[in-house]
Amino acid sequence: MANPTIPRTKSRRPRRDLSEGALALLLLLPAALVFGAVLLYPMLNTLWLSLHAQKLTEPWLGTPFVGLKNFQTMLGDARFWNALRNTLFFGLMTVGGSFLVGVPMALLAHVKSRLQWLARVAMLLPWALPPVITGLIFAWLFNGQYGVFNDWLVRLGVVSAQEPVRWLSTPGLAVAAMVFTIVWKTSSFVALIVLGGLQGVPKDLIEAAEVDGATKVQSFWRIIVPLLVPALTVALIFRVIAAVQVFDVPYVFISQAPAQNLLETLGVYTYTQSITFLDFGYGAALSVALFAVSLAITALYVRYVRGGDA
Amino acid sequence: MTVVPRSRASTLGDAPRLPLHERFVKGLGLTVMILGGLFPLAWMFITSISAETDLQSLPLRYIPANPNFGNYGRVFSEQPFGTFFLNSLIVSSVSTVVAVVIAALAAYALARLNLKRRGLLMTLVVAFSMFPVVSLVVPLFRLMRGADLLNSYPALILPYTALSLPVAILVLVAFFSSIPKDLEAAAMVDGCSRFGALWRVVVPLSAPGMVTAALLVFVNSWNEFLLALSFNTRETMRTVSVGVTLYQGEFSFPWPIISAAIIIAVVPVVTLIVIFQKRFVAGLTAGGVKA
Repeated sequence: MANPTIPRTKSRRPRRDLSEGALALLLLLPAALVFGAVLLYPMLNTLWLSLHAQKLTEPWLGTPFVGLKNFQTMLGDARFWNALRNTLFFGLMTVGGSFLVGVPMALLAHVKSRLQWLARVAMLLPWALPPVITGLIFAWLFNGQYGVFNDWLVRLGVVSAQEPVRWLSTPGLAVAAMVFTIVWKTSSFVALIVLGGLQGVPKDLIEAAEVDGATKVQSFWRIIVPLLVPALTVALIFRVIAAVQVFDVPYVFISQAPAQNLLETLGVYTYTQSITFLDFGYGAALSVALFAVSLAITALYVRYVRGGDA
Repeated sequence: MTVVPRSRASTLGDAPRLPLHERFVKGLGLTVMILGGLFPLAWMFITSISAETDLQSLPLRYIPANPNFGNYGRVFSEQPFGTFFLNSLIVSSVSTVVAVVIAALAAYALARLNLKRRGLLMTLVVAFSMFPVVSLVVPLFRLMRGADLLNSYPALILPYTALSLPVAILVLVAFFSSIPKDLEAAAMVDGCSRFGALWRVVVPLSAPGMVTAALLVFVNSWNEFLLALSFNTRETMRTVSVGVTLYQGEFSFPWPIISAAIIIAVVPVVTLIVIFQKRFVAGLTAGGVKA
């Protein structure tokens, strides 16, 4: 250390410190332990269980190895296909809807105004509410008799107070109500990510374009939107993954409505088989299917992130 | 009215006065956004102080004839909601502290140290955020039962920590990466150990990132339903997200009480959002989008 001619980068590491690699391992260890014990091990356990038969309702049968039989059952299970179809349909509708609502929300929250703080609270609130509570709130708003939405229709003279709309027990309307609820809840997330992207757009770029005579619409489409592509992609991937796993809102809505076969998602069906029917083996196979869909999307994400780095 | 100088000033970054139709669109948009975001909760509040009869005829009364806070008392007398609330507070706070500390350590390693497989490790972190909670219920239940942890705080703290870690790590990696390495090097030249430099330079500078990460973990943990429903079934160990579903009878939905319970249940997260909205948006946008 005494010799000042030695480049600083070589000499600045004091002796008593660990080597960088060892330190890194030490710092990563707690996270690795938690991930291993609470996520990885249970997931491997699910994988193992999906190749076995285990029903808690028939404990005398034990846990015999059955190979791919659970997956075979799954392929022939109409309720699985129905749940998968619902999941994909809701995914498409709610992901699309959350972008249609979330992007304008981000633009509004980005504009300077006296109400900006309130706009941001209104933007963040749906994200911060527990999904199960969101489900309950909208079940009340969509109540088939005294819900607020019926009240508005009555006030507008569209329906009569004696014959309000049975939102949750009319199949098509129950689906629409659930899509509406999930879009309300998840647009926040899209808005948040897009707002982040907007704040990263350099102001001078837009000003330069305006000096060059670009209209606002032109500078929006030609400058802002291309710069938002990374944010939009991240938001899209996280939204799709959340949509595949959606559980709480359909769970609450099904408890309020008889339109089960229309509202049941893969997440809810997996829960029903595992927890309600206690068919752990088959539930595990459904879990694996759910995970496989998530993983496929993760792979896309990783490809995108890696591609972006290169 | 200063007309010309203001519009000239716009190129200097001052907010320009928008033309009339744009102001109209902006005003309308903001109004719709604010009403749309806040109305559902506002309606829950109105429901919670309304008499049942005000809610059982159309058109509805939006201003209760006799506002009455009695339902808030019934929330606590019909279920041990105070206990649920305390449980949620303990579980969420401990999860937040544990997750942020563990995430900060890992994020420091990922952002600042020479790691050979950095890309792979980051990919793993992202992959862990994709685990469906539903798939974890059964194996975690067996694990918790084996460790005799069912109906305990760790039964929820452990999974909540694990489920929030990926996003906390991603946010903090982005934050740490944005702090110039020279600052740390300077501190070490001045005699700090590596940990000293971490504690005195990196930690204070990344406080906004820590707040953001903490808020994310707290909100996730406070809101979690499925694991809380499955692991902590004893009345004294339930959390609020499960608690709010307990007021409905088999065929009856006493909405005024349920609404009161919901209002109480969301107080902490709504308070945090109102206080930290500015910092939270700034923290999430500081680098999270680059992911």
